[in-house]
Amino acid sequence: MTLLQVENAHTYYGESHILEGVSLEVEEGEVVALVGRNGVGKTTTLRTILQLTAPREGTVRYRGEDLTGRETHEVADMGVGWIPEERRIFTQLSVEENVRVAVPKDRDAREAIEQAFDTFPDLREFADRDAGTLSGGQQQMLALARGLVGENDLLLVDEPSEGLAPLIVERVAEALSNAAEDTTLLLVEQNLPLALDLADRFYVIDNGQVVDEGDADETAADDERLRRYLSA
Amino acid sequence: MVTVLPDVETMITVLYFGLFAMSFDFISGYTGYLSFGHAAFYGTGAYFVILVANGKIPMLGTGTPFIYLLVLAGLVAAVLAVLIGAVSFRLSGVYFAMITLGFSQVLYVFVRDWDFVASNPRDGPAVLGRTEPFSIGVPGVDSLNLAIGQLAGDSVEGLLGFLSFGTTEVSYYMIGLVVLACYFAMQRIIHSPFGKVLVAIRENEERAEAVGYNTFWYKLGAFAVSAFFAAVAGGLFAGFQRSVSPESSFYFLVTGDALLASIIGGFGTLAGPLYGWLFDETVTEFLSKSGEGGGLLPYLRDHLGEATMTTELYNGLTIGQAIDTFLNGHAELYVGVIFVLFVLFIPNGLLGTVRDRLGGPVGKQVAARLRGDEK
Amino acid sequence: MMEIVLAGFIDALGQFLRPENLASVLVDGLAKAAIYVMIAGGLTLIFGLMGVLNFAHGSMTMIGAYLGGLLMVFAVGGASGGATRLLVFFLTLAVTFALLAGLGGVVEVGLIRRLYDRPPVYQILLTFGLTLILDELVRIAVLFYGMQPTSDWQAALGTKPWFLSESVDLGLISVSGLSLFEIVVGAATVAGLWAFLTRTRYGLVIRAGSEDAEMTEALGIDVRRVFTVVFALGAGVAGVAGTLLMWDPAWGASVPLAADTLLPAFVVVIIGGLGTFRGTVVAAVIVGMADSVTTWWFVNEIDFASLPEMTIFLILVAMLILRPQGIFGVEEVGGH
Repeated sequence: MTLLQVENAHTYYGESHILEGVSLEVEEGEVVALVGRNGVGKTTTLRTILQLTAPREGTVRYRGEDLTGRETHEVADMGVGWIPEERRIFTQLSVEENVRVAVPKDRDAREAIEQAFDTFPDLREFADRDAGTLSGGQQQMLALARGLVGENDLLLVDEPSEGLAPLIVERVAEALSNAAEDTTLLLVEQNLPLALDLADRFYVIDNGQVVDEGDADETAADDERLRRYLSA
Repeated sequence: MVTVLPDVETMITVLYFGLFAMSFDFISGYTGYLSFGHAAFYGTGAYFVILVANGKIPMLGTGTPFIYLLVLAGLVAAVLAVLIGAVSFRLSGVYFAMITLGFSQVLYVFVRDWDFVASNPRDGPAVLGRTEPFSIGVPGVDSLNLAIGQLAGDSVEGLLGFLSFGTTEVSYYMIGLVVLACYFAMQRIIHSPFGKVLVAIRENEERAEAVGYNTFWYKLGAFAVSAFFAAVAGGLFAGFQRSVSPESSFYFLVTGDALLASIIGGFGTLAGPLYGWLFDETVTEFLSKSGEGGGLLPYLRDHLGEATMTTELYNGLTIGQAIDTFLNGHAELYVGVIFVLFVLFIPNGLLGTVRDRLGGPVGKQVAARLRGDEK
Repeated sequence: MMEIVLAGFIDALGQFLRPENLASVLVDGLAKAAIYVMIAGGLTLIFGLMGVLNFAHGSMTMIGAYLGGLLMVFAVGGASGGATRLLVFFLTLAVTFALLAGLGGVVEVGLIRRLYDRPPVYQILLTFGLTLILDELVRIAVLFYGMQPTSDWQAALGTKPWFLSESVDLGLISVSGLSLFEIVVGAATVAGLWAFLTRTRYGLVIRAGSEDAEMTEALGIDVRRVFTVVFALGAGVAGVAGTLLMWDPAWGASVPLAADTLLPAFVVVIIGGLGTFRGTVVAAVIVGMADSVTTWWFVNEIDFASLPEMTIFLILVAMLILRPQGIFGVEEVGGH
């Protein structure tokens, strides 16, 4: 069934028109990638879904319910998680506290934290350290852990490989594909081979609109269709 | 009867304090940097005038013409502003407000206990050593000077054969002249290319920098200019009152009053703060205990009659007492309520809102309408 | 001439360095630090989470002093013993905390909430306007009820248990009971807030929200509601501080207490780093010590009554020049 449905969303930052009618759908259990050049509206699409920047026009439906106009924390409570660009972990909280704060109220915190540390054993080692002292890769793992303990049905993942060494990117990719077994992912990723590798389907965004879409397994990273929109 | 404007004496306060509020708005309203220590410059101007008059400043005689004193006070304050600004403009937002507040409080606390300025520095200095009055006009030409002050000022009789003014009225017009000149000077600066850069800094400092302006020097320049006029305002205050106290000059709540005037009058509209302060003074006088300018209480006494005034409202509290308790001398409360309402609902202030409605400065729009211009 | 001044100075320095003098300056400094941390603690919580520099904070402290005084005057009779008075005082602390927290909550929901979308200057303006209103309302109430015929509120001061007015002998030095009491209450307040911030789920949420409100919201937490709670908490702490000051003759309940506590609170909060509670605690100790040291020098050697106050503002200015983000502030976090 359709988990997420964005219809003709128009979003503005102040007076600048960023999304000019984005429409897309995500089925339950899918991994969908959003690709496109910098500044075309990929991150804004995720923010629009979360109602961090509510659309002025158009609708966002999650499990058939209209999200537009709701508070972000309500959207999050409905099972939408966010792993933002540059990770945005809480640098002044300890690693464990970063995970703990993401555990929903009705869930047993200790159990959730244990589970997160089982998934990311590296983090257990640094549980009491300030998260700001972690390396970029560790921070990305922490951001993932934070997204996963929320028991979200839909994870919005923004540029998970950005600024990481190739070896670390591999581990992040592995963690994401593990996560994809239980949850639905909507993924923004500049690294096209990685995006196509993880995703089942993709949308190409350009100038605030969806200009193309396709099946990830049938499309190569150097496909002419993609290169048109991705090369500068 | 209820008069619309406060009496002349209050209007003099409106003029010089309005000038101070304008100078505050010049830096805070136009560049967006909240100068929370602006009272330092007002106080510098006020103290400078009195210290010279008391022969405490070397090389300046007690009889130095008042106009020179105002300019010198302005220059001293401008230098002080450059010193303070040089370290403060590396900061912005709340931090800028706090560092300027810090500087002004250091000065306030220092002046409050510095026995050089007065025998009792807590009460502040008064003019003791000067025999000449503080005159406004062309220095050196006696016939083109009029002295200000309630007791020491000049009065004019039979000007043009029929106009006569008392000392307070003369003070009002002469101080008004200086304030008007300062207003036009600031107005010129705001509308010059320099002023355009200031507004650009307020709107988007990064962009102003990207376009190639060294915003630091522009901010510092604007700070010095605003300090200059703040000190002139302080000098007028000292010249008219002939005594000042730390609380009425250097204290941070003096800046607070300017802020109040600016918000009510219109932040970033040069003339606005003057109207804002006029508004504040009008309310204050309307609710003052004595009601000299024709305040609320005498009016009610005249019109309600003794029977109504002694009507019991609640538990022995009569209407008269209620007015006494909740209105008289408590203008702060109502001014505060009005201020908060302005911040919430009319953030552009009186003048700013009128301009928004008219679509431009009031003078220009009214003039255009009178001429019958079509937009 | 120079030699005489210098000799006097060296003599005074010798006096100052004597153990008993150093010890009493230390205790005095801690007592002042306790007061500073209490008047600044709520302010820093509010700023840390919401980025609102609450100019009405001093007024809330002042209202706390009056409410605390009123409650004490009502509850304590002339015959009440010291222990009873102390017990009533702690109940009073709880009540003023609750009342001020209520006031803070109302202010946040009714006024401040409307301004989050505007530039931060508007929050300064609004809370500044609020001080005018609150201060004048208190002035009216005090006049109306004839509560305070002289500038010292004797009735409230008179509710102090006898042993807080006595000196306590600590061997080397004797210190006033009130100073010790202030240190105890200040330390308890810090410990309580510290435990709340680090040991409870709500404290965790507050710390997360202080660093990144948007991210916290996206984790399913209603940050707006946390704002209300923190504003109420901050106001409540101010009320507790006011109640403590009500007994201290150096402060006392009066309308100017609002401005008198607001400025040092700003200084402490900025020196510590806007919005870091840990920084505020350290800064309070620094400012308290600077205050007590300069007070000693004023009393004994330097005839300049404003020396302590001036030193405090000079520390503020120096800090903003050298390290504007404060002792524990993080540059980007401080850049609200």
